[in-house]
Amino acid sequence: MKEEILRVQHLTYEYQPGHTAIEDVSLSIGKGEKIAVMGSNGAGKSTLFLNLNGVLQAETGEIYYQGIQIGRKDLGNLRRHVGFVFQDADNQMIASTVEAEVAFGPLNLKLPRQEVDKRIDEALDYMNLQSYRKRPPHYLSGGEKKRVSIADILAMKPEIILFDEPAAALDPFSTEMLQQVLSDLSREEKTLLISTHDVDFAYRWAERILVFDQGKLVADGETLEIFLQDKLLEQAHLKKPEMLKIYEILLKRGLVCEGSYPKDAMELTKCMGGTAYGE
Amino acid sequence: MKGYRRHKGRREHFHGTAAIDFYACQSGIRCWNGCFKVISTVLILVMCLALDAPVVSGFIILTMGALNVKGNRVRFKDYLVLLKIPIVFLVLGSLTAAVEISADPLGNWRVSLYGMWLYISKAGIWRAAELFLKTMGAVSAMYFLALSTPAGELAAALQRLHIPRLFTELMHMIYRFIFILTEVQRTMKMAAVSRLGDVDFKTSCTTFGLIGGNLLILSLKKANLYYDAMVSRGYKGEFFFWEEEKNVKAWQVLLLLCYLTALMLLRLAEEI
Repeated sequence: MKEEILRVQHLTYEYQPGHTAIEDVSLSIGKGEKIAVMGSNGAGKSTLFLNLNGVLQAETGEIYYQGIQIGRKDLGNLRRHVGFVFQDADNQMIASTVEAEVAFGPLNLKLPRQEVDKRIDEALDYMNLQSYRKRPPHYLSGGEKKRVSIADILAMKPEIILFDEPAAALDPFSTEMLQQVLSDLSREEKTLLISTHDVDFAYRWAERILVFDQGKLVADGETLEIFLQDKLLEQAHLKKPEMLKIYEILLKRGLVCEGSYPKDAMELTKCMGGTAYGE
Repeated sequence: MKGYRRHKGRREHFHGTAAIDFYACQSGIRCWNGCFKVISTVLILVMCLALDAPVVSGFIILTMGALNVKGNRVRFKDYLVLLKIPIVFLVLGSLTAAVEISADPLGNWRVSLYGMWLYISKAGIWRAAELFLKTMGAVSAMYFLALSTPAGELAAALQRLHIPRLFTELMHMIYRFIFILTEVQRTMKMAAVSRLGDVDFKTSCTTFGLIGGNLLILSLKKANLYYDAMVSRGYKGEFFFWEEEKNVKAWQVLLLLCYLTALMLLRLAEEI
């Protein structure tokens, strides 16, 4: 187990009395983990994220950041260390230019001007947005807005980043760029939680999967372990990843070695004895 | 300004605020200090009104027009389009100033109206023309500000000039929201039209009402989402807006001083 960074105990959140959005959720998140949060619409993924980020505060249950319980007074501390990239970038952008937008978080952290400038530069470099810095958000395309919304959070340098369905409504090129950013962030030991409906992406990317169904955390385990439980997948309305299906078919025919579990076409070729793609 | 070229194709769809915002973002004078631009505009405006001379007003209209076309990179044709609305208003306003009422038949041209006379005199026309030029001068100066400074930077400049935070923060929010709401309205309208929502006049009216109502509910919802997003990035009830540091350069101040002096000299020359 990696060093624990965030712990949630018996968290229950109700938007209105009697309508629980998440119920008795307990989990522990280690530093640098890559976690996919899955479940159908309304299963409680976004509510969990809003709680983890301190925007919503549950009546019952506790959240610990690095072993310290978060009370009402420490919410600022939680928001500082846990960044939240909203699903719809338009709902996140507030300032009138890209650079001012990225500066919004650091300014709220009350950082000195020089540090704010430095962070804007770093975040814009990271997301490859330097040439857009003077532009107002309404002159950006969907993919560019998403990049700005990620740069917004990077500029605050959080330890944990929550992405709410980041690939929704992105074109293939932007999705690829997003995955590149995710792997860069993992290399920097950032803890990433991504809510997604894309089982293929989750299978490829995540180390661990949390499955939500009707507000309850119904499964929490390693990616492969989760996707091999057919009953669980059915309960949570999840599909089996295509690559896993292909592997199982090939295994039946004796074309791949058992237990190799390829994640993509390249790995599959290797499992089948080829050395490179297509051989 | 390479990045804006992509949007130029869409320019014919820009109206009013959107067009002005577009120009402000690509203006060559955007890099000037915001406070300096506000102060210069106010000074030119005050001079235009206080000096009260057609020569000065004409000079301001021409120079500000040239500055808007060259400096702010607004195409001449588009600038005329932008001027159209104020011109219509000013012509109507000046006309009413030219027309006078009296019980006796006075002036050069008159019509009788139930025992009263509506008349126009040459002096009245001259006065109306003067008024028209003066207000056009003021409008040109204001266009210089509007076309060179995006609303966000304008709000930041006004905050520096000690306008209460409440107003400048509202300016920021409204600026952002105008574009979001017009975008939402546009998509809703398209969706309605694609389902024959504008098939006849009555249906169009109903559609318009529905969109309006929806827009209200959506804006309330969006306001909540925005608030969450802001709180999640550490908002605690006070806006801190980042602004670029733009220094006032000596030549800019000199230019302004020369310009103001030129205005005064013109006024003096007219008196002689």
